[in-house]
Amino acid sequence: MNDAQIMERIKTLLAEKAGELTNPFPRRLYLKVEHPNLTAAMAVLKDSLGFVHVSTISGVDLGENFEILYHLANEYANLNVRTQIPKSNPHLESICGVIPGAVLYERELQDMFGIVVDHIPDGRRLVLPDDWPDGQYPLRKDWTYTRPEEKIPGGKTS
Amino acid sequence: MRFTIPIGPQHPALKEPISLRMTLEGEVIRDADIRLGYNHRGLEKLAESKTYLQNIYLTERICGICSHSHSTCFVQAAEQLLEVEPPRRGVYLRYLVAELERIHSHLLWLGVAGHEAGFDSFFMYTWRDREVVMDILERISGNRVHYAINTLGGVRRDIDEAQRQNILASLSVLRQRSEYYLKIGANEPTFVGRLAGVGYLSKEKAVALCAVGPTARASDISRDVRKDDPYGMYAEVPFEVCSAQSCDVLGRTVVRVKELMQSYNIIEFLLKNLPSGPVAVRSPRRAKPGETVARYEAPRGENIHYLKANGTDKPERLKVRAPTLGNYAATIEMLKSGFVADIPLIFAAIDPCICCAERVVTLVDSRNGEESVVPMSRLRAMAEERYRRAPVKKDAEWPL
Repeated sequence: MNDAQIMERIKTLLAEKAGELTNPFPRRLYLKVEHPNLTAAMAVLKDSLGFVHVSTISGVDLGENFEILYHLANEYANLNVRTQIPKSNPHLESICGVIPGAVLYERELQDMFGIVVDHIPDGRRLVLPDDWPDGQYPLRKDWTYTRPEEKIPGGKTS
Repeated sequence: MRFTIPIGPQHPALKEPISLRMTLEGEVIRDADIRLGYNHRGLEKLAESKTYLQNIYLTERICGICSHSHSTCFVQAAEQLLEVEPPRRGVYLRYLVAELERIHSHLLWLGVAGHEAGFDSFFMYTWRDREVVMDILERISGNRVHYAINTLGGVRRDIDEAQRQNILASLSVLRQRSEYYLKIGANEPTFVGRLAGVGYLSKEKAVALCAVGPTARASDISRDVRKDDPYGMYAEVPFEVCSAQSCDVLGRTVVRVKELMQSYNIIEFLLKNLPSGPVAVRSPRRAKPGETVARYEAPRGENIHYLKANGTDKPERLKVRAPTLGNYAATIEMLKSGFVADIPLIFAAIDPCICCAERVVTLVDSRNGEESVVPMSRLRAMAEERYRRAPVKKDAEWPL
């Protein structure tokens, strides 16, 4: 199956659920999906087109919105499904019901962007430490790192 | 009686150090839990404040064993966004280093597997031979670990005819030695018996949990980015995707030994068909707004970088997923209903990192909460002791 055939199949299978579909480089497809249709679209892509492998999930801070990219792969191409959620109400539906292997990537999204993934099977922290303060999400563009003041135990207090 | 054993988290070298918390019933693992982030360096955030050129050297430092795989994956993405095409000789040299790195990583892993299975002479042999490939890499790039050979638009160093002959000569030594390991495997029933049936991961589970690399290929999934999504010059290089049907640690060993042989063939092909010409072209510093995804088959599996440009000389977003993270979900599945004695072997079989080998394990008795600290060497001795008394799996056969 070449890129054009995959694009044709996606358009027929997803019909009105499929948003903008582009193919800027060989074997790289980008599909836009509205957030309410996300899990349904994932199930169709997995069952009918063999996109069983989720390589990873990327989050991008666009200012007003978050863009979430699901990098899927089958043996012919790499399909990047993108969806947008508002930053003011960052709720994302989990795709673990469709692809169980996505759980670690969704946990990483929760840590790094403060996105709440609904119906995630395991919502604990993944990469941030347990004593990390709430409301600090490092990969948001407005977050900057400030080095905490160094305290030397038993040292001089200045 | 249920025990919980935390493994880790001290773990100095990898991007993803791991803390595994094992719930045991007797000697059988009933549940395994995972905790990451002990060595999280905020690299994706840092990449947003560095230029594309600086980021090559940053991504190279993600891993100490497959350093070239990350920098190559980044360079592939960056070259696509900067609209620069590396010359053919540069491409050949870049993936020549990539295949040499695969050989060094697989030889390293074979040694670790031998060590964890209690076959230390195998470990000594493979690691001595690994020096041969490390010397080749040093001869090409000047470095043993971080080769720093990639640049935007090609590679930084060329090789001459004497180096080419030297690599070919060293390669025939390596090939001979690897064939010897095949013979050892076939003639050593205890080694095969120790590996067979350990860390079972069914094909369905491997697909559902998105396993990558040799871990997936040992569960009979022929998933190899070099074949599915050929980058660089892989479309014109003849090679086979190696897989195994046994779904256990033995299968993972077989896949890696077979891949060694394929890598020798690829390197010979690259050196015999090395095009002439320049190794690099000049590259612009700024990328037009856009985005791309680069995939690369690292020694441990699929490596993926997502790169987004915003028109300046620094990326808007760089997302990195190293293959080990992709295999953690599958590792938990492998550990379940395995034996405590198999933990070192199963965990080593996904090839997380060599520095995992000598860690400290705390044994916690869940009834009285008493803790005792046991070094990994003691855990391995316990494993060997258990299998010394266990009957050797007589029917297990070396499948090559």
